[in-house]
This record gives sequence, C-alpha cells and structure tokens, in this order.
Amino acid sequence: MKVITAYCNLRANEALVNGEVIARRDAGSEDSWFKQIYRQQELAYPKFYKMDVLSQAGYLASELMKRADPGIFADYADDEIALVFANASSSAETDRRFMHSYESGGSPSPSLFVYTLPNIVLGELAILNKWYGENMFAVLPKFTPGFYLDYSRILFASGSRALLGGWLEVTANGTDVFLFLVEEKVSGTEFNDENLLHLSQAGAVAAY
Amino acid sequence: MIYIGAEVIVSPLGDSAEDNWNALRENRSGIALVPSAGFNQEDIHLSKIAGLNGPLRFQQLVIKALSALKERIDASMLASDRTIVLISSTKGALDDNLHDQFSQTCAAVKQQFHLAHLPMVISNACISGVLALNMAGNMVEIGQYEHVIVIGCDAASDFVLYGFQSLFAVSDKPCAPFDAARNGITLGEGCGAALVSASKSVFNNTPLQLLAGASANDANHISGPSRTGEGLVRSVSRTMQRHGTGTDEVDFICAHGTGTVFNDEMEAIAFDRLALSDKPLNSLKGYFGHTLGAAGVIETAVCMQMMRNGMLIKSLGYRDAGTSKPLNVILENQPKELRTILKTASGFGGGNASLMIRSL
Repeated sequence: MKVITAYCNLRANEALVNGEVIARRDAGSEDSWFKQIYRQQELAYPKFYKMDVLSQAGYLASELMKRADPGIFADYADDEIALVFANASSSAETDRRFMHSYESGGSPSPSLFVYTLPNIVLGELAILNKWYGENMFAVLPKFTPGFYLDYSRILFASGSRALLGGWLEVTANGTDVFLFLVEEKVSGTEFNDENLLHLSQAGAVAAY
Repeated sequence: MIYIGAEVIVSPLGDSAEDNWNALRENRSGIALVPSAGFNQEDIHLSKIAGLNGPLRFQQLVIKALSALKERIDASMLASDRTIVLISSTKGALDDNLHDQFSQTCAAVKQQFHLAHLPMVISNACISGVLALNMAGNMVEIGQYEHVIVIGCDAASDFVLYGFQSLFAVSDKPCAPFDAARNGITLGEGCGAALVSASKSVFNNTPLQLLAGASANDANHISGPSRTGEGLVRSVSRTMQRHGTGTDEVDFICAHGTGTVFNDEMEAIAFDRLALSDKPLNSLKGYFGHTLGAAGVIETAVCMQMMRNGMLIKSLGYRDAGTSKPLNVILENQPKELRTILKTASGFGGGNASLMIRSL
C-alpha cells in the first residue's frame, strides 16, 4: 500500500521533521527564519542565498528530511520520484519584489524575475538531487489532500515509484510549508485524506 | 480511447480555431511593433490582441474561450459532477491582483458556466499547457473525471516583458525560431481551449485521439536550457514508449521553438538524440509569439487544425539553419496527411513535457 514515510513542516516559529521540533526561531535574530534554519542545521549550499522564499522552503524541508534519514531517496532511479507541489499564492511574494525592482528600484531585476514562477522550486530540487522525473505545480485555494491523492494515482500508474508532495505557502502573513514522501510499503501511515490532513497540521498552533 | 476536440484559439489572429487557421494558412502573424512598450520606452515586437484592454483581461479571455468551446460540445456536460476545468497559466490575473492571481477568475468561471467543481490551476511555466492536457488525458483514463476542459491562458504584461528584457531575451525583430539569426523571444498573449473526454458523442465535430505523455525535468538550470536536451529526450522517449509508438509513426513535430539561441539549440540536440531530426517540424511562435502558459494549448489546437485540414504550416521566421544538429524545419505550407503528431514544450524550472495526437 502507499504510505507516508517521512514529512517536514515549517511553521512561523518552528521546524518539525516527522512531527519532532528540530529548530526554533530566534525572535532576536536579524536573519530571516529560513536563514536561521539553514545556519542552525549547518547546511552548505550557497545557492540557497540566491533562492526566493518558495525555493528556500522546498530546499530546507527536503534537506531536513534527508538529515533525518540520509538514505531516504536511495531506493529510486533518477526519474522515479515525482514532485507534486501546490500553494495558494503562486509566486506572489517574489512577484511583488520583482515589481518593486522596476517600479522603485531603477530597473527590473533578472535574478528576481527568474523566481517569479511557482514551479521554480521543482527545478531547484531537481538540480540539487539530479532528479529527471515528473513535475507538477498547481495553485489551489487551500491545502487539499484529494489533489495529491488523485494525481498520485496517475503518476504511480505511469512509471513513478515515489512521490514527494509539497504545500508551500510563504507570504508576509505566514509560513505554512509541508513536504511529505509517499512510497509503496507493506505497512506504515497510510497515504489517505485523513492522514495527510493530520500530518499537514503538525506543529500548527490553534488559532483560538 | 481518450478523445480531444472542440479546440478553440483566441489570439491576435482571431477568436476561433477556424479564424486562426485561415490566418496560418496565409502565413499571417499576430506580431506587430508596439511603440514605446519596453522598459526604456523602446519599441518592442509583441503579439497582442487588439481591443483587449483594461481590467480583468485574463478573465475575459478565459470566459471568451470557454464560451466558444461550449458551442462545440454537448453543453449539458459543463454542469456535470464528472467534468472539471483545468486552467494552465503562468501569471493569471497578475495585473488585477498580484496577491491572488487566479481565485477570482476561477470563481467567476464556475459561476457563469454553472460548473460543479472549481477550475484547477496548473502553473508550470511554459510547459503548463502540455502538462495540463496530459493531466486531463490521465484523469479521464483512470476514471477520475469523464470530461476535462483544458484552458491555457496568459495575458501580456509589462511585468513579464520587463523580466524578459532584463534577461536580454527579447528579440529585436519578430522572433525567428531555429533560424541562424534568431536572437530571442517575442512575447504574446492568447487563450487556447480543448475538451478531453472519454466520450466521442459529446463533440459536435469528430474529435481526435489524445495520447497523453510524460514530463521530465532537466535537472540542469532554473532558467537556462540543458546543453544535452536530457529532459526533453526523456519526456519524448517516455511518451512514445507509453503508447508503443515508433519514430516511423511520427508525421510531424510541433516544437517549442522560442527563438532564443540556447532553447532552439537544445531542442535540435534532443531531436537528434531521439532520431527525430528528419521529421517535418515547426515552431508556431512566429505567428503567436510566446504565450507562456497558453502556448501548449494554443499550439496543440493548431496541430489539430493541421491534422483536420491535412496541411503542414511553415515555421514563420525561419530561413537559414541555425542549430548544431540539423532539423527538417518546414519552409513552405504543404499538403500532407497527418496521422500522428508530437507536441513538445520546455520551460523555466527545467521542465519538459510532450504529448501526441492521432487522427481517428
């Protein structure tokens, strides 16, 4: 059966891997929260500093999953892991910064422009991991387990053997990042609507 | 069998697939020089729809295309729970609401056409359209939906034009895909639509067969094409393998062909590796410009018109071979029966996607 074998949540003030808090935000730091995670975890991928927030989020979450289990992706050929990501705001945060570059900053910034597409994070993960598999980025009103479940059936029927799913909503108003790996196993946390919704909310602070 | 038909094209060349076909048959282009359009007030070649101005341009285009498609099908299936609309786009209604580029249009379309489901947005840069058509074919094949309407749409914006200018990727003349003197893209806008269905009877006119394909990443660079064409080779190989299609069966390739030096070179290398170099090939960017998230749907709709009319359309802007590996770029329109065609797309983020269409 298809099971969720690993997952990572990045919240406004905490980073969690497989439900365990592994980093906490230092409110006194001048660094962005994502840079704090990068430094605390002693990650070494200088390209991180060039990335927009969506790519940073995807990079951090997938690397933290690897930290917890270095062999996590080892069972698959370079085109067998499909990337299926989504969010609600597309690349709006980077779009705003790019627009600012030509409206107020003197000239359009090419280094910002190349990140004004939500699927760029898929390219960053493909480059880093040398993955040549399927890519999909959808813009949905909210996190919808059914989107991943439905599309996974298509991918598993057409050659993909694992799925790295992602919800990357990073805006001025909040951070809601959830990555999860789906694999075929004899037992584990079944990949279904209920479990996916539950794990997506790991570390979320109730709003009331 | 998965059917595809009821194709619609809204572009500077007309509001229907037939209007667009008539323009293509006469090798007319939608590209024109627009005074002071550039960031530094330069004159820029663009493929812009006359009369498409003001707010809600994206929404207007999507609704126009879906209205036209509705006239070509059994319209009762629009409200069915077994029908979904996929919208492929890069920047949606960016000019209306930077922070929410799609939801207003999706809600408006759902309401106006009494859809059972909210349209789903696929945003994968320039492969969005082909990817959405493949998703549609797969959704129908495994029975998630019986009918999937795919609408590819992008409106030209200062945002995107200035961005491509900042990358020095905008052609100083109408784009010239695969030509030796090509030097960049021409930005375009437009909307394409088609119905993908398990049922032949919902189409007013005879549909074609969709052979849904695969996508593959280059794993190379977020904004530069692969030097080896690896992702495109893998995408096309997997698409052909999936359907047991040999190279001898491919009658025509509708390439991505943006007109940048490196993209077109990458494609030539990939088609050479795939042993498809001798196939008649064109890029339609010389007619429509690069319509980004709409391109894959518009260009697939043109392929369907080419198949219906039995004619190869010349690759506008091409004159002299300009890639390290040879291609059989179509120099003049010519009658030809087209049974199986291959459509490819490549884009930012390293994505590549492909599909095939077969005549019934």
